[in-house]
Amino acid sequence: MRNKKAKILTALLFLLPFLLTMASLSIGRFHIPPKDMGRTIIQAISPSAGPKVSTAYRDILFRIRLPRLLLALMAGAALSISGASLQALFKNPLVNEYILGISFGAAFGAALSLVFLGKNFPAQIAAFVFALGAVLAVLLISGRSESHTVSLLLTGVIVSAFFQALLSLVEFFANPYALQSLFFWLLGSLSLATWKDLSISLPIMAVGVVALIMMRWRLNVLSLSEEEAKSMGVHVRREKLLVILLTSMITAAATAVAGVIGWIGLIVPHLVRMMVGADNRKVIPLSAALGASVLIIADDITRVAATFEIPIGILTSIIGIPFFIILLRRSRKVWL
Amino acid sequence: MSIEVRGLSFGYKDFRLSIERLRLENRKVTSIVGRNGAGKSTFLKCLAGVVPVPKQSLFLDGRDLASLRVGERARLISYVPQELTLALNYSVLDFVLMGRAAFISPFSVPSREDLQTAGEALHFVGLEGFEKRDFSQLSSGERRLVLIARTMAQSAEILLLDEPTTFLDPKHEIEVMNLCRKLALDKGKTVIVTLHNLDMAVKYSDAMIFMKKGKVVAFGKPDEVLNADLLEQVYDIPMAIVPYNGKKIILR
Repeated sequence: MRNKKAKILTALLFLLPFLLTMASLSIGRFHIPPKDMGRTIIQAISPSAGPKVSTAYRDILFRIRLPRLLLALMAGAALSISGASLQALFKNPLVNEYILGISFGAAFGAALSLVFLGKNFPAQIAAFVFALGAVLAVLLISGRSESHTVSLLLTGVIVSAFFQALLSLVEFFANPYALQSLFFWLLGSLSLATWKDLSISLPIMAVGVVALIMMRWRLNVLSLSEEEAKSMGVHVRREKLLVILLTSMITAAATAVAGVIGWIGLIVPHLVRMMVGADNRKVIPLSAALGASVLIIADDITRVAATFEIPIGILTSIIGIPFFIILLRRSRKVWL
Repeated sequence: MSIEVRGLSFGYKDFRLSIERLRLENRKVTSIVGRNGAGKSTFLKCLAGVVPVPKQSLFLDGRDLASLRVGERARLISYVPQELTLALNYSVLDFVLMGRAAFISPFSVPSREDLQTAGEALHFVGLEGFEKRDFSQLSSGERRLVLIARTMAQSAEILLLDEPTTFLDPKHEIEVMNLCRKLALDKGKTVIVTLHNLDMAVKYSDAMIFMKKGKVVAFGKPDEVLNADLLEQVYDIPMAIVPYNGKKIILR
């Protein structure tokens, strides 16, 4: 009975991002009647079908809403799956890409690239380099000992702060125009998504997410002590580094186009563990699905809640943190 | 599968393990005893290959342990460390399944056969029906049994258990030691355990290794090597061995 319920829940969670994407296409300031929306989509596939619809509909759907939705979908999946993987890797439920310095490393790299190399150079490269640099710095400074949770978290905070300072320095030297776009991008926003940015970030995120989903069971083994995993035939260092590379890569790809969207990588995996337990075979793919859904919903809210657009990074933090506290207090089940 | 030690020397800053010659046979339970810090765990870690072992010092059926690849070694030797670290709360079955890691690609998940092997291992240690239970909610004794099941799922010929009976009540202690015997006699495994309870070591092992300050002081069948002088030499406190109902009881 419980098994059946769990299966239905799992299936629903996997369907959710796709249903939400469909539904969200019709959400926005500009109202498109459902009938016209259907027609526009059909005509995009076969241009000769049915009576002509307004080109405005087509532009809104495919040039504004669709890229944005795809970005929400993939960034949500990428950030959540990063959090879930890192939590398993560091055997620590408090770890995420934000705390390990990856987010601000990526943000600094992307900002640096935007300000000094211009918009035509893909910011993802610098974002990835500095994201990886930040997390490796955290690992080196905090030492190899894996039991030192406190030293890991503290080092993460320090390295994050360092990259935030560097980021401020970049802002200080940026010209006013660059500064303005930098400012909105940093708060976390999906509104800047263009097909050109996405053509780089989406494939990177897709590759990383798929690779981590493939490694889902291995993450169970990697969450044991290094000695245990090693005695079981795992190349611990090599595989840990691979997971760190993948998470840095997808977080950098998300951050380079969407800015710093915090808390998703911490909250979503916890929610999933509360529902299905700790087994990463379920936690990893479900985190991707739920993360995608959460970010789509969050983006829908930023689009319709006010006459101006609230940066999504602010929204995820403001809604996410209290939500997490409530869940933490209400849930009696041990899921950590 | 037999283990041969030839001039093993391995150490940290202020500790060195050096064992000249030793041969551990299969179908036997060998227990390693000695004071804390005598090098028992370090010896097991060398055997398990979780620390960098020097070349040409440990041999498995004639093959140099240092020359084996990680995955290859894991299919021959399994190891349960003394301390458990667990951050995420897996179910018992998920935990036992991890023992199959050496047989599964990093980018794959366990197959039906792996699941079956894990299930059989749980059955062997007497924990069938525990599959869905949370590991963190088990008692210390049950956790040890789960760990033994995990090493069994690894299907290795050599099982290294570091203090498997510490913190256990007498009943679980006996249960774990019986399992060790069963693994050696019924399954033909080479079982090596470190123990602090001398009576258990004498009763359940085919051979005993007495260690002190990184060296082997005595090695042999319990009946043959055990005497009060040796115990005093190894533990630095006077001990007596008294016969009771045909058994030897160690008094301290």
